[in-house]
Amino acid sequence: MRIKTYMSGRVTLPPGFIEGVRRIVGDEHLSQLEGDLISYSLDYWLYGVFLSQKGDLPALPSAVISPASAAQIQEIIRCAGEFGVLITPFGGGSGVLGGAIPLNGSVVLNLQRINRFLNLDELSLTAEFEAGIMGANLELELNHRGYSAGNIPQSLYCSTLGGWIATRAAGQFSTKYGKIEDMLMGMEVVLPDGNLLNIKPVPRRSVGPSLRDLFLGGEGTLGIVTRATISIHPLPRLTVKQSFIFPSIEVALDVVRRVLRAEARPAVVRIFDEAESGRYFPEIGKKVVTIFVSEGEPEYTTLDARVIRRVSRENGGKPSGEEPVDIWLQKRFDIGLGPVLMQYGGIVDTIEVSALFKDAAGQYRDMVAGMKAVEGVLEVSGHYSHFYREGVCLYITFAGIPKDPLRYYQDTWDAAMKATLENNGSISHHHGVGFWRKQYLERELGASGVGLLKSIKNAIDPQGILNRGKLIDGGR
Amino acid sequence: MAEDKKEAEKLARCAMCADMCKYSCPTYLATGRETLSPQKMARLIVYDERGLLEDKDGFMDFMFQSAMCGSCSRHCIYDDYDLRRFIHQARIKAFQSGVIPEDVRKRVDSYEKFGNPNGERELIDKGAGDTGFFISCSSYKDEDLLKATEKMLSKSGSAIRQFGGGDICCGAPLYYAGDMKGFKQASLKMKAEIESRRLSRIIVDCPTCVRTMTETYRQAGIELDVEIMHTVQFIEALLKQGTLRPRKTNKIVTFHDPCILSYDLAISSTPRQIITALGFSLKEPVYSADHTHCCGGAYGAKIGDHRLKDAVTSMRLNELRHTGADIYVTACPTCKSVLSEIDMRYITELVAERILAKR
Repeated sequence: MRIKTYMSGRVTLPPGFIEGVRRIVGDEHLSQLEGDLISYSLDYWLYGVFLSQKGDLPALPSAVISPASAAQIQEIIRCAGEFGVLITPFGGGSGVLGGAIPLNGSVVLNLQRINRFLNLDELSLTAEFEAGIMGANLELELNHRGYSAGNIPQSLYCSTLGGWIATRAAGQFSTKYGKIEDMLMGMEVVLPDGNLLNIKPVPRRSVGPSLRDLFLGGEGTLGIVTRATISIHPLPRLTVKQSFIFPSIEVALDVVRRVLRAEARPAVVRIFDEAESGRYFPEIGKKVVTIFVSEGEPEYTTLDARVIRRVSRENGGKPSGEEPVDIWLQKRFDIGLGPVLMQYGGIVDTIEVSALFKDAAGQYRDMVAGMKAVEGVLEVSGHYSHFYREGVCLYITFAGIPKDPLRYYQDTWDAAMKATLENNGSISHHHGVGFWRKQYLERELGASGVGLLKSIKNAIDPQGILNRGKLIDGGR
Repeated sequence: MAEDKKEAEKLARCAMCADMCKYSCPTYLATGRETLSPQKMARLIVYDERGLLEDKDGFMDFMFQSAMCGSCSRHCIYDDYDLRRFIHQARIKAFQSGVIPEDVRKRVDSYEKFGNPNGERELIDKGAGDTGFFISCSSYKDEDLLKATEKMLSKSGSAIRQFGGGDICCGAPLYYAGDMKGFKQASLKMKAEIESRRLSRIIVDCPTCVRTMTETYRQAGIELDVEIMHTVQFIEALLKQGTLRPRKTNKIVTFHDPCILSYDLAISSTPRQIITALGFSLKEPVYSADHTHCCGGAYGAKIGDHRLKDAVTSMRLNELRHTGADIYVTACPTCKSVLSEIDMRYITELVAERILAKR
């Protein structure tokens, strides 16, 4: 194959494994065609995407296996265990940290055939889906029946429910509806020994540590999620859109803190720094714009919007109407600039971190300053987009046209991670670790944390079959 | 050259996108195969152009597995881009090098022999007037639809000349096979057929024919000096004239949006207005209008490659069955034929039952 790989290559699979898997899934669902291997070589890790335009790929899978059921996955995993074949689960392939890259000669376990809507429980406000369903189709299924999951990530159109669970994902409406861990009620997981774990959907339980949480953010290293029951919400009957211009990031953060302290729960809150405001809202220009979307039942929504308006005005907010919200709603899935810039040698990426309110402004200023100091930088900008009573998620976008792309990429990430850790923040809010962020893991969790995670991996996947090279080393 | 560079940049942009349209792609959804998602197809085309692929036959084979339905274009984050153009260019190369699937070859052979993809058939040319009704290759085989069309046209109050069959075909099967020489000949023949009948307006019941005879002909440098409309637009005009008779009924109808009608011709509300005006209640499937899915017929009608048809058809049938409707209706003769398991009817058949004679 003329394609070059720069992390790991393919291996020759044991004939017994190939024969076994063909018996399980059928001939047409085990592929070693060049086109299939290329298509499952990379997720949306943007440095990898940048290199992919020249035909350089991080790794190629040794085969692509596409099962149709959890039962087939169980058999495949047992077969892989018997022959010592490594498995990389692949959902929508939208992860931005390389979590689905088939490293170490692994085979890809393609989960996209397992994608059905299963049932709706209107009494309990839950719905069950197979894990390979695309986010947008999950929403279409629910919207058609008068509901929404409330999880609307930017990757809605290319990510799967299983991927949301595997990475502990968060959506744009999270301040009201919560993150995936708040929505996940029950799930079915195929374990590395091939056994099936069923966690039934209940509102809460007290039966030892939460097993569910091993797989929320497990990134496919501890098990493969095959179906899940999530909580749902009736579609809102009223939506109120508001925006305000604040004199600084600090003031905007303080207003949102006060809004949440006053028990308002807007679905969307976003504070854009001057650079992002300038890009999104050229008519307003480089100011700190904050948008709010309140939605739900009319009585509560009206009250919610009133609290936001009062607190914003009392603290120097200048109302800027509904238009910035509409502009954002229209542009929120637009990732169009990155692929254009990359053709001209541009490196583009995003980094999301979290911090308490007391550290949030300092984290932003230090991250931006540190990242802007890296040679080759074109732009560093940020917004806050997921809010809690206690703190925030900061989302930084950066771009550069450097002479040495890898040096620039590494240095920018290093600067960002250093700044967030020095401000007591977490290195990731919702994108996860994958392989790229592994290098910062010990600074986040400490040696004890990494050791504990490794012990868990060793205990659950002693052969280290699942997604080797991601999140945590161990089990081999 | 500047235009080529611009187009190459658009393709490269698609190849580095996050595949934001794949949730709508019926081929991807029905097969669960990432390689058939739009962005991955674009990446393979880029790699092929750069000479990075060794398995050329495999690449060409993937190119013939697209339904070419336009869902990716309709849901693209870029508004100046249609991946189908690049897949089509790859098919032209495949055709030139003789690497085309067997089914496609058979269809092209039939065309060379009979001037149409169906085989030997009689020419239809009846009626008079400067408005024509073109009987597409798919409706030619459908007696119920032909009868309903006859009834509707005869009671519409307009003089309409029906033509089709024989060796009259818009050439779409050749276009989708990548046979551009054959397509050019077919389009010129169609132009001559229209001009010889001195038509100023043509009603067409097949969305693919409508698109081919307008947009695709224009791209190929063929301009038809004639107004072309789809059957539902003609029915809409009948409604406005008061020619249709609404009759209250308890029957529930589910309308299946043909992919080309919805994505390319942007017609989705008109057939619904017609159905409700006829007295039926509508029940929508989850995937309808802008989010409709191809019936699977596109693989047969436009490409001739039937390998994927069963998976896509089965997915669409399941989606439609969930509505539990009394009657399933569509506005594409191919969709009607492909989805016949659920007793699919063409919208003209509903209209024919309820049309008043024009005085």
